[in-house]
Amino acid sequence: MTTLVNTRPPDRGWRLFLRTIVARAYPRVVGQQREKAWIFFETFLPFLATVGYIYVYRAMQAPEDYIGFVVMGGAMTAFWLNVMWSMASQLYWEKESGNLALYVMAPNSLMAILLGMALGGMFATTLRAVIITVLGSLLFGIQFQVSSYLQLLVVFVLTMTALYGLGMLLASLFLLWGREAWQISVALQEPIYFLSGFYFPIRSFGFAIAMSASIVPLTLGMDAMRQLVFATGPALGFLPVQVEVAVLLVLAVGFVAAARFWLSYMERRAIEEGTLTDRRR
Amino acid sequence: MLNTLRRSFVPAAWLGWQIESNWTDPFLFLVFSVVKPVASVLILVFMYQAVSRAGADAPIYAYIYLGNAFYIYVGAVMAGASYSILDDRERYRSLKYIYIAPVSIPIYLFGRAVARFITGTIAVVITLGAGALFFRVPFNPLTVDWPLFLGALALGIVCLTFMGVLIGTWTMTLRTEPWFVGDAVAAALYLFSGAIFPLTVLPSFLQPIGFALPLTYWLELLRRAVLGPGAAAFPTLAAFSNGQLFGILGGITVVFGLVAFLGYRYFDQVARDNGMIDAQSNF
Amino acid sequence: MSDPQAIRVENLGRVYKIRAVKKGEARERVALTDVNLDVPRGELFGLLGPNGAGKTTLIKILTTLLAPTTGRALVAGYDVARQAPEVRPRINMVSGGESSGYGLLTVRENLWMFGQFYGLDTQTTHARIDALLEIVGLADRAHTKTSDLSTGLRQKMNIVRGFLTDPEVVFLDEPTLGLDVGASRDIRRFVRQWMAERAGRTVLLTTHYMAEADELCDRVAIINAGRVLACDTPANLKRRLQREALFKLETSPLVNGALTTFQTLPGVRKVLHAPHDGFSALDLSLEADSALSGVIGALTAHNASIISLQKREPTLEDVFVDVVGMSMTEAEKHGD
Repeated sequence: MTTLVNTRPPDRGWRLFLRTIVARAYPRVVGQQREKAWIFFETFLPFLATVGYIYVYRAMQAPEDYIGFVVMGGAMTAFWLNVMWSMASQLYWEKESGNLALYVMAPNSLMAILLGMALGGMFATTLRAVIITVLGSLLFGIQFQVSSYLQLLVVFVLTMTALYGLGMLLASLFLLWGREAWQISVALQEPIYFLSGFYFPIRSFGFAIAMSASIVPLTLGMDAMRQLVFATGPALGFLPVQVEVAVLLVLAVGFVAAARFWLSYMERRAIEEGTLTDRRR
Repeated sequence: MLNTLRRSFVPAAWLGWQIESNWTDPFLFLVFSVVKPVASVLILVFMYQAVSRAGADAPIYAYIYLGNAFYIYVGAVMAGASYSILDDRERYRSLKYIYIAPVSIPIYLFGRAVARFITGTIAVVITLGAGALFFRVPFNPLTVDWPLFLGALALGIVCLTFMGVLIGTWTMTLRTEPWFVGDAVAAALYLFSGAIFPLTVLPSFLQPIGFALPLTYWLELLRRAVLGPGAAAFPTLAAFSNGQLFGILGGITVVFGLVAFLGYRYFDQVARDNGMIDAQSNF
Repeated sequence: MSDPQAIRVENLGRVYKIRAVKKGEARERVALTDVNLDVPRGELFGLLGPNGAGKTTLIKILTTLLAPTTGRALVAGYDVARQAPEVRPRINMVSGGESSGYGLLTVRENLWMFGQFYGLDTQTTHARIDALLEIVGLADRAHTKTSDLSTGLRQKMNIVRGFLTDPEVVFLDEPTLGLDVGASRDIRRFVRQWMAERAGRTVLLTTHYMAEADELCDRVAIINAGRVLACDTPANLKRRLQREALFKLETSPLVNGALTTFQTLPGVRKVLHAPHDGFSALDLSLEADSALSGVIGALTAHNASIISLQKREPTLEDVFVDVVGMSMTEAEKHGD
């Protein structure tokens, strides 16, 4: 036992934050390497579902850019699913397996654990998004007309930041609740696809509903990206891209800050109520 | 036979209902049962409204709306039956105990599908009601051919449960990503079953997949029962009489029953060979 | 902070609100009541009690996972409720009957991951993993997936995880639960070795195995129904009973009336009866050896024959019976 070495003092602060992200991402990355079945379930089957919506538009004889809208929506579902199932709801399983208690008891940050989970699944998520985009574009001859790559990058980064902030907010629900939070995640999936306009321009909602739906970052994120990459995008857009960027910036800052506050508040409440280790299934 | 039913089906149906419903109060339960399927129909309604100038009178509108409304059963019953086996294995860790009890696993899964069928029915009724009241869907309970409707519905549900048993026992052999298999298969079959667009829209080399699926004939029968002659606007299956469609659906159901039984025996063996009956897929 | 006490618990209480199945049925369950404990640094302290006594609740509070309802607790000099970020780098916990980590990772990968959560650099982590796996006899399984380990080996990995971060205070919650004799012995040996070699490190062990507490602990607190009823070294606790004469007696099967007779005999303090197939086992606690003759006389009067008679030294089980008023098994039934 005297051989217990200690080359340098343990990291704290941002170094510990980064270490935690990498460590929690590791099982995800390794899991994907060791069990390849996910490629079929996570990329091929969702691609078929996206193609289903493409043929709906074909059956309706819709303009070709709408096919592109569906492909983009199909690709973005990957990120929503990553946030909901690989990050937020994952806390449910961590609680069930006893790992959540060990995560909370350690000096790391729960935000880092959540980011690790999400980033660990990012390879699968990105692959799924890329496959849907590339195959969809090639098979259905989608024409992209990017007006500004820089703006596109800014919109994507802001959308993802806000989305993962929202995911952390949702994750905090799992600290207090188990099955209830799980059912909410299940029930939210299609309503979010609907309200965020994954398969049609949100302008169809009218201003009030579209504005309300913009609380989900993907709503304005996708609308802005469609405006930036499709010829008819600007004509079908909800708000000018600059306005959408500004709102996304507010959402990104707001969700990340709120997630930080809420995670710590919910952790405190969970500790008070004894739900961190409570397995009611 | 009666004993197997009593031991396997009845407790499973009761358990399924408890698991589905007892996490919250009845009102919230109803809201959550309905919000997901209704949202999926609304996606299509808004897609239609975004691009179509023909309005709700066009046959394709009723085709899409009804197809999607009845497709709720596919997610509920087929994906539900497969989901319940994972629920038991991963969440409640009780699959091993069910396995060693003198129950029939396929019949147990039939029982577990009952609760999903009930919640699915609530969602279908609300979707159809909302369609008639708010979205100008030509659905009138007084003109529905109820014998045709109920007969097709019953046969289709049995077939969906067979498919659920097959997928459920298959997912039992998987360690990663098994949760979404049922949903993913249901979503993929959306493409081939003529649920939301006529099969003739698909490239010709993909159409045979649709013709091999029971869902295609089932949805056509349900549409015919609801719309009457209006359902014939799309020629895909117009050449078949109701009786012929019933015959095909019945035949494919028998085939799926056989495949589900053989599949269960095979996957059951694989699962036991690989020690998957009490595995945990979390990572 | 140089608090000489590794753990201070002052008037600690915890009440759980139990969720209502139907509206208006919400109830409360008292898990801990007015608990006071001091555990100095360097001590191996045992919490002995039946299932449901409140041991795990106390550990959850001390490991910052649960807030106390009343009172306060300090670990390594820091308040567990208000200064959790200071407490957490200094502690670790191992629970019995639980698997930590992920089944598809190897033993080494799982341990590395947990080391990272405590900010250990990779080189240090791997060196410690090697050293600790060697000690618990798991070195040859470092590259085995944890899903392929037996319960005992998984718990050894769990033990290594708990000690990997070199914590000032380690909480071991029923660490040998469900393990066979050999694996339990290995874990006890490891804990003893750790304590011997890491001066100033503290272990709080909960168990309902009397022999385990007796063998390992410097001091033991007996806890039942959320209250600490006694706290001292195992030797001192047993010494309290040395004024009594303890006998283990096996007789032909006894009728219930006989027991009532024994309990009213002069000099008899307590009689525990365990009926077996074909014989009865009695644990007698007498004021003096001389009271035994009365018991034997009563046995003869009830036509019972003696199979064996043995005088024995007091154990922690006897202390538990003396303090709680019933055996551990009975206390568990009572708690249920």
